[in-house]
Amino acid sequence: MQPQAVIVSSSGTVSEQTLSSELGWTLKPEGLCREEVCVLVPDRARLVSDAGVDLETFAELMDRPVVVDPVAGLTAIGAPREQRRGALNDLHAPDFALPDLDGGVTALSDHRSKKRLLVAFSSW
Amino acid sequence: MQDELHAAGHLEFQVLAVAIDNNVEAIRGFAENITFPVLIDADHLLTELYAISNVPTVLLIDEDDRIAMPNWSAYGTDTFSEFTGVSADRQHDRIRRWVREGDAGISSEDARAAVGDLTPEEEAARLHFRLAVALQQRGDADGADRHFDQAAALAPQDWTIRRAMMPLRGEDPFGQGFLDIYQDWRANGSPYHGLMGY
Repeated sequence: MQPQAVIVSSSGTVSEQTLSSELGWTLKPEGLCREEVCVLVPDRARLVSDAGVDLETFAELMDRPVVVDPVAGLTAIGAPREQRRGALNDLHAPDFALPDLDGGVTALSDHRSKKRLLVAFSSW
Repeated sequence: MQDELHAAGHLEFQVLAVAIDNNVEAIRGFAENITFPVLIDADHLLTELYAISNVPTVLLIDEDDRIAMPNWSAYGTDTFSEFTGVSADRQHDRIRRWVREGDAGISSEDARAAVGDLTPEEEAARLHFRLAVALQQRGDADGADRHFDQAAALAPQDWTIRRAMMPLRGEDPFGQGFLDIYQDWRANGSPYHGLMGY
């Protein structure tokens, strides 16, 4: 689960449907769920209101960094911090998928079972 | 190097290049005649996931997704060796040995200690950068400036923030602004999340 590109939301909230389609989590009676995993939601009223699911509360529950710009109506949500800590402390490479120059999407895991040299570079 | 190692029978070796950049045309220019995948990371997702603070940063990742060599300031040529004090040939030999023998030449203990985690400020700077890029695409230059400024204030020594925003703000990333950032970075002990001069 890589960091999220920016989410458009004028109120800092999203519908449960968007939460599911954009962020991959579904609100169920047992908590926030993704595949077999559910995260408990201790204070449900703080997470969900008539306006929808509060993104800052969601990010906090998931231990993901978040910055909300209410004026622009944009929210950026980072990756769960444990993914980066897993890379730094446990040397486990977190997966990611990004657009490639051939017009497709390439993931680190597309080349699993190979020895990979990953190089971050730029034009600047 | 990928071609050389493939020719030597090491077909299990794969280079993946990720451009921390949204200038797709410039990257396309770099990528001519290149046979490995080139990925475009306009939102700097990778710099958050791996705590990358400058380019080029290289990682060696083995068949089991284990990081054999964490964030490493390694170069394709000796163009910058006067600055870095490291010979690219020596770094390339290290990579070849890892591919052939599975030994990256660094202990697990040293690898685990090599990269400091992002500070909360550096983490937030990445999100402000992402918001600035999104606002720029919307044509909201003032909004973009606001978030670029916040990002720069939160992570003043991070090249993937400070220098990466220069072309996006119409500044020359090889001009005086770059030299100012470089001097400031040196004066602050040349911070880098990873191994430098290795």
